[in-house]
Amino acid sequence: MTWQPELDELRAREAEARKLGGADKIARQHAGGRLTVRERIEGVVDPGSFHEVGAIAGQAEYAPDGTLKRLTPSNCVMGRAQVDGRPVVVVGDDFTVRGGSADATIREKPIMAERMAHDLRLPIIRIIEGSGGGGSVKTIETTGRANLPGGVGGTQLYHYTGANLSVVPVVGLGLGSVAGLGAARLAASHYSVMTKETSAMFVAGPPVVKRLGEDLTKQELGGWEIQTKAGAVDHAVESEAEAFDCARRFLSYLPASVHALPPVTTPTDDPARREEKLFTHIPRDRRRVYQMRPIINAVVDQGSFFEMGRMFGRSIITGLARLNGKPVALMASDPFFYGGSWTADACAKIIRFVDLAETFHLPVVYLQDCPGFMVGLAAEKAATIRLGVRAMAAVNQTTVPWCTMIIRNAFGVAGVVHQPANRYSPRYAWLSARWGSLPLEGGIEAAYAADMAEAEDPAAKLAEIEERLNRLRSPFRTAEAFWVEEIIDPRDTRRLLCEFADLAWPLLTPAPSGLRMRP
Amino acid sequence: MAESPITIRAEIGASVWKILATPGAAVGEEEPILILESMKMEIPVVAPHDGVVVEILVAEGQQVEEGQAVATFRR
Repeated sequence: MTWQPELDELRAREAEARKLGGADKIARQHAGGRLTVRERIEGVVDPGSFHEVGAIAGQAEYAPDGTLKRLTPSNCVMGRAQVDGRPVVVVGDDFTVRGGSADATIREKPIMAERMAHDLRLPIIRIIEGSGGGGSVKTIETTGRANLPGGVGGTQLYHYTGANLSVVPVVGLGLGSVAGLGAARLAASHYSVMTKETSAMFVAGPPVVKRLGEDLTKQELGGWEIQTKAGAVDHAVESEAEAFDCARRFLSYLPASVHALPPVTTPTDDPARREEKLFTHIPRDRRRVYQMRPIINAVVDQGSFFEMGRMFGRSIITGLARLNGKPVALMASDPFFYGGSWTADACAKIIRFVDLAETFHLPVVYLQDCPGFMVGLAAEKAATIRLGVRAMAAVNQTTVPWCTMIIRNAFGVAGVVHQPANRYSPRYAWLSARWGSLPLEGGIEAAYAADMAEAEDPAAKLAEIEERLNRLRSPFRTAEAFWVEEIIDPRDTRRLLCEFADLAWPLLTPAPSGLRMRP
Repeated sequence: MAESPITIRAEIGASVWKILATPGAAVGEEEPILILESMKMEIPVVAPHDGVVVEILVAEGQQVEEGQAVATFRR
């Protein structure tokens, strides 16, 4: 006696499910330059590691004698797998079944995937294509009623979509047209990637927007250039394979959950390595800019810098890196964008980034060159100061170890926020560092208005005052009063940062932060 | 092989401080075509690769918006 007939039926149903929406729909998916959900899952996880949950859930058709004719699988495929040998949860939309729409999802499948990640404390990779929300308007006819968003019992997915951010790493991959709840699940991630040619993300797509008088293509409405500059998606890549690499690499810096510390790798780079070019990299002419990324790459473990959100809030560069094998969250100014000043967008970027560091116990390194908040009418209209004080609060609310290198400018309130205000944090000033409450340019006119008004030659007076002040503002005079604790040779930067990472590590606690991270 | 010109855009809102290259000038990769001024800093707008400036679309002293076309360029 065996259970062979039942085993045969199980295998037959699994085989049906693997046909997805059928050969025609799969061919259409491929013709559009996009992989199927199962190909995507195989592509992002370690080969052969995917263990599917709920494979045979779907809509069945039966013959009059009760035998199975066809099983259309749910368009949510999910389960556990491994990435670089570490367990993860992966959940993907199947666009070949009802265009990834929720009417074919079976509501509990994506909820269980999110809950599994939450309760097993595993990172989750969301592969998103389609809408995945309450379904298309067609569901009004197929169900005979309209859907109250969330409704009764439908809020679980929305709960985990946000709540998981405080518990496990969440990666979102947008690999086709992504709308509605799909867009929400993509944006509500720690790190999101979209493909350039084949994906677009929007709250509602072109047909809906057209009714409001905007006639736009998918790319014009929500393509990568729109969404990465807006900061709704972090990164854009040429191919799905690249998106998978990004997801895997992002996870390599992070713990499986907030209940563990980030994974330390065997150091491959000399912690005392000195880069000669750092001695000449900053122009003496303070009006001239320089590239920050070569500095980052010179001081972190070679090849370890992983930038996130490059196209948004560009006066700040954010990314993950390793120092002597230890993962850190690194942010740095980019003087090519508004001289490195903190715009409203840059502040929004900083808030989300330091929240990520605090959530996953990543020490923070900040390479600062900040002339202050962005100024001017446009900056005021963008509520730069509101976003600015939120960024200040976010920095001050961190508890992870923090190290600052003042590369050049530190001016004004934004200049203050170069380290948390409430604890000791190592800080070093490069030889090129300059600081003040206000830059001299404009600052003199404000502070010496009376002298200027009385002067016969205001321009000469301005130059005279400027020269007087410049003589006094050498950083050495600041250091002699111990208003800054250390000025360093920039070539010592890597050694000091690696020492910081080594000192920081024993201070980290694998316990949830008091912070509840928002998307 | 001459390719069709590409548009070079300002990546920030700024004023045009100095124009360095005239139409027809050969410019190497990463070399500046013009310099913007923002927050009292000189921000170069550089050639994306070796090529020739086709047209300069702005004048010194002019304000430009983020994303505004400032020059056209071809390989």
